[in-house]
Amino acid sequence: MITPKDFDCKYENKWCPGCGDFQILSAMKSAFAQQQIPPEKLTLISGIGQAGKTPHFLKCNMFHGLHGRALPLATGTKIANNDLTVVVNCGDGDCYGEGGNHFLAAIRRNIDITLLVHNNQIYGLTKGQTSPTSSLGMTTKLQNTGTPSSQFSALGIALAAGAGFVARGLSGEPGHLTELIVKAMDYKGFSLVDILQPCVSFNKINTLSWYQERAYKLEDTDHDPQDLGKAFKLAQEWEQSLPLGVLYEALGTPFHERVPNLKASALAAHNYDSKLLADTLLQNL
Amino acid sequence: MKTDVTLKIAGAAGQGIQTIGDLLSEVCHQSGLFTFSVDDFESRVRGGHNFNLLRLSDKELTAPGNRLDILVCINTNAYELHKEELRSDGIAIINADEPGTKDKTRFEIPLKKLAEEAGNKITANSVAAGAVLAVLGAPLSLLADVLKKQFAAKGEKIVALNVAAAKKGFEAASGLGQDTGFAWEAKKSNNVVLSGAKAAALGALAADCRFFPFYPMSPATGVVSSVIPYSKQLPVVVEQAEDEISAVMMAIGASFAGVRAMTATSGGGFCLMTEGLGLAGMTETPLVIVNAQRPGPATGLATRTGQADLLFSIHASHDEFPRFVFAPGTPVETYETMKRAFHLAEKYQVPAIVLLDQFLANSRVTEVNTLEVDPEIERFYEQNNSGSDEAPYLRYALVKDGVSPQRIPCSGPGLVRVTGNEHDPEGHISENAENKIAMTQKRAAKLPAMIKEMQAPFLVNPTAPVFLVGWGSTRGNILEAVDRLGAQGMEVGAAVFKDLWPMDRKTIGQVLDNKKLIMVEQNGSGQLGRLLAQEAGIDSFDTILKYDGRPFFPDYIVQKAKELVK
Repeated sequence: MITPKDFDCKYENKWCPGCGDFQILSAMKSAFAQQQIPPEKLTLISGIGQAGKTPHFLKCNMFHGLHGRALPLATGTKIANNDLTVVVNCGDGDCYGEGGNHFLAAIRRNIDITLLVHNNQIYGLTKGQTSPTSSLGMTTKLQNTGTPSSQFSALGIALAAGAGFVARGLSGEPGHLTELIVKAMDYKGFSLVDILQPCVSFNKINTLSWYQERAYKLEDTDHDPQDLGKAFKLAQEWEQSLPLGVLYEALGTPFHERVPNLKASALAAHNYDSKLLADTLLQNL
Repeated sequence: MKTDVTLKIAGAAGQGIQTIGDLLSEVCHQSGLFTFSVDDFESRVRGGHNFNLLRLSDKELTAPGNRLDILVCINTNAYELHKEELRSDGIAIINADEPGTKDKTRFEIPLKKLAEEAGNKITANSVAAGAVLAVLGAPLSLLADVLKKQFAAKGEKIVALNVAAAKKGFEAASGLGQDTGFAWEAKKSNNVVLSGAKAAALGALAADCRFFPFYPMSPATGVVSSVIPYSKQLPVVVEQAEDEISAVMMAIGASFAGVRAMTATSGGGFCLMTEGLGLAGMTETPLVIVNAQRPGPATGLATRTGQADLLFSIHASHDEFPRFVFAPGTPVETYETMKRAFHLAEKYQVPAIVLLDQFLANSRVTEVNTLEVDPEIERFYEQNNSGSDEAPYLRYALVKDGVSPQRIPCSGPGLVRVTGNEHDPEGHISENAENKIAMTQKRAAKLPAMIKEMQAPFLVNPTAPVFLVGWGSTRGNILEAVDRLGAQGMEVGAAVFKDLWPMDRKTIGQVLDNKKLIMVEQNGSGQLGRLLAQEAGIDSFDTILKYDGRPFFPDYIVQKAKELVK
């Protein structure tokens, strides 16, 4: 029986006290325990930023890569060995800013991984600049007259790009978030959980209570997650209300079932076969 | 009697220039002859001016020819552009609307009309090939056999059409046959015709590379597209990435998972890949990148050749980490180099960069077939059979030779922790100063053994006082130039590098000591010369440089070398 404690790790946590990341980490451990996946069978891949450090703080195999590049790294790992369970941790700037092109491509590939975006609407590790998900006009030390760019609608863009599993969680609702991560991992294909979280050090607007005052759970409504039009509408809600839960879920064909040479077995599962190689490569040259 | 013939087929893009060249190449190959076929084309799909330069001989060729025995002009513009290159006894075969002049120097042939007479105007290429064949003095049966093979998949009707078209061209050129002295008969040989691009793909596959993420870019696309025909039989995946950054990251991700992967690009794409190169260096993840060079900077000349990425490849990415840089000289050597690149990248857990260029990637050359698939390949992963809280697996264990045992994630109890941040032996972020020193030294500790893996430059006439010095694809040109200079009584040798980095300073310093060095390179500053000055104590060198985007020819090197050595 695998429990959340099995993922505890001695390595010193480096996040600010009160950071929403702690609850995300705890929800991840609970979700992995619910999935009954042992640490040695789990691969976490991350980008750069506070979210990128997540894999260091629990027991797992990990590749802590570069800013914006977690998704292509994870895609390569998954294409090489489809038998691996791959979960990706990114921040909002990491995934939607630096890694925006990779975000779109990963959705279109429908690569069977789970993406957890720690979305605090601010750059934390670089000490408080606006991120793609900051609201238009948000002021910071750097954007002292307010950010001139409008807010990036991650959920709306994911839906428009054809994502088959789009959900929103809140770090302050760890139980609910655990359920979302479990569902996302169960989904066969690319799954996105955009996780709203406060940044206690730099985002003084979108605080935990700001989120909590607006958040409601889609499970408490009559939302049908197969209704794409409705999901688009929900993705537009922001200032007045924030829907949490699965906005959209529809079955698609994951990448490894689209590519003939990945259907039968993982690339990693083949042995070196000198006879096959010689016959294929060197005959009829 | 000629046994070394050069012909040029010139016209607009989309007129089948390369098809005609390939048909003739194949006829030569089937007769046991050697060919050296170079394409010159613009960065456009239709129109403009392109040519295929085909040299054939009964002896192995190392360089293209440039004085023409036969000039095939698919449009009249081609004749005006290339007539000066014709030898005095050469012949121009010119496409015309109606039959015209027909003598030993000029032959006007209506390709389209003859193709229509044969049944379909789309077979004009076969008409042209038939005509050239007649001029070469070869029997039509050889071309017919090649056409049958070439069009077999398209059905008997298409085969018959093309054979009829070839016959039309062949008959139209009757009486123009040159005395080539070639034994034109189907003959089994142990030769292989390969481009550098295809050879790179074959070498990678032979090294058990299974994943090829890439982003299209001339002249590297051919490397990855050459994998496609084998993907039905072999467990390989080719994936077009959203950009080169993604391509290199995917290759690193696959390599992390224990599957050999590579990507191929050209200079501009390689620029984007440098952060990935650094990630592979820092995380000590094996990685193979082919950089098929083209002249730049920026977009430069997209379809042309150059060798100006040497210093960039050696230094690309910030800070320092060990890497291999290779530059094979021929397609067969490219095959071998790719196998070695995968082997060494994994053995030392470092990136390996293989430098091709447009000339090597696209030229199709006959060589003696020495290609082999190894009965076994050595893999460098440790069994993942231990690892606990008390005694974790240490991905970056501080070992004397710097090569910490590598494991595959999820293959056992040991957790594989990898990060591009500076890390402790377990793979966790560490800002500890002593750890930083230890890790920098650990990575650098691989260098002495890596240097021992490097093969010395290829030497010709090692006792000569003057050396032509080059690297990569210029080798064949340099070798032919040295031969010709020798025949003219000049004591000239050569040193041509294939293994470029890391550099065995001592050995190379000794080899080049007391020589007058002439760097023969396709860049504007003599980059290898500068590197040798930095690494091997070379205090001066002359240069024969060419940076017009076109390949070297032996003639050019001979002429320039004579000016430099008086």
